[in-house]
Amino acid sequence: MEIQWSLVLFTCLSGAGAWLLACAGLDAFRGLTRKATAPAVVAALVLIVVGGLASATHLTHVDRIMAVLAHPAPGIFLEALLLGIDVIVGVVFLALVKREGSEAARKALGAIAVVMAAVFSFSCGSSYMMASQLAWNTVALPLGYLGTAAATGTALWYLLCAALKEDGPALAFAAQETLVGGVAALVLALAFGFASGAAMGADALTFWVGVVLCGGVVPAGCGLMGMKKSESALQLAVVAVVGSLIGSVAFRVLMWLASVTLMNLFGATI
Amino acid sequence: MTMARNCIVVNLDRCTGCFGCEVACKMENDVALGQRWSKVFTVGPVGEYPDMTRYALPTMCQQCEDAPCVSVCPTGASYRDKDNVVLVNKEQCIGCKYCMMACPYGVRSWNADEGCVEKCTLCGQLTSQGKQPACVKSCAAGARFYGDLDDPESAVSKELAKYDEKDIHVLRDAGNKPATRYIMTDMIGTWYDRVEPRGGHQTAAYPVED
Repeated sequence: MEIQWSLVLFTCLSGAGAWLLACAGLDAFRGLTRKATAPAVVAALVLIVVGGLASATHLTHVDRIMAVLAHPAPGIFLEALLLGIDVIVGVVFLALVKREGSEAARKALGAIAVVMAAVFSFSCGSSYMMASQLAWNTVALPLGYLGTAAATGTALWYLLCAALKEDGPALAFAAQETLVGGVAALVLALAFGFASGAAMGADALTFWVGVVLCGGVVPAGCGLMGMKKSESALQLAVVAVVGSLIGSVAFRVLMWLASVTLMNLFGATI
Repeated sequence: MTMARNCIVVNLDRCTGCFGCEVACKMENDVALGQRWSKVFTVGPVGEYPDMTRYALPTMCQQCEDAPCVSVCPTGASYRDKDNVVLVNKEQCIGCKYCMMACPYGVRSWNADEGCVEKCTLCGQLTSQGKQPACVKSCAAGARFYGDLDDPESAVSKELAKYDEKDIHVLRDAGNKPATRYIMTDMIGTWYDRVEPRGGHQTAAYPVED
């Protein structure tokens, strides 16, 4: 099946944005950063919105998109709904941060942001679980979407913290989050690779180098090193972001390449 | 009231693989160049000599009972009409192609000029006037039948009633319950509901991934 780049970019960017917002939300509980929260929320909102716009370029009749509201089926409707909710969460959270709102409210929004990141990134992948697509019809697919988005989002948070020269404890914790994101990407992408057969198929190189190495091992390794060496945080964060982005894109590309339809009688590709 | 199960039934014992149904469909429905709503495949030859099988397999929308193309459509453009026929309302199609991904048989076509998905309509423009779908009317071998599976007086029910259950087949069912029935006795050979992509029989009927 042909790679649908609009959809690749959508889930890659919006998923990363949702997890970046989650990291900022998590910091509401820890209170480690001084400057990174607001820029992170703004960057997250930009990523989520740009991702959403990228998905619209996939459609030939965007003018009819409002019809989606009249037919709340899973898939596009759910993704759009969750994306909208996440944007609202981000905007409210940003207002609370800027106006130094109550700590309890910030923590509540932060917790919602974390939950939304998991739910949104998972749902983006679950839309593709179809009985007609043998390689996609496994829960490992949406879990892989979740894991790779988490890796990118946490690495971006780490990068922002490093670029804005946050203190050592904040950088160490951001590195720890990057480690967790990288490990999640590694484990969940491996699960999809073996469940779908992509790990051994014609696109094994994309899987092992792009997804596993770049998307999982690199951010996890950078996070692990960053927990010990905060002075190299910026370099490690840049490498983690690049690696996780490559991995996130590669995972989604692999999904399209690994597509095996139950029967494709007419041979039409989309 | 039980909804009708209108569909096409193909008697493969009669089908000669002449492709007349493909041509009739394209002419009647003005199907875009390079696209088909109805397509004839050649299964085989498969098996070990002398137990070889080769047969023509005409395909089209299978009018699934649990049509995944309908349930995934975000706008309701893929729908069932009052006669329970799975159709596409092109005025509502946004071109997301989810239905093409969800169709287990890949029998939906993409009309690039209109930016819409299309498919076999069972020639509603004809059947609503009491006429036969173009592919049925044009079948030189009399191998195609149209009607309601739940109506014992329909052409499809009468044709199916002539055969044992073991001679009546459906394409591989992934839970979508295809309505279209294929009649094929051992006079022709062995029915294949799907040839495995790798390691199994390779046929022209079921394109395999490279």
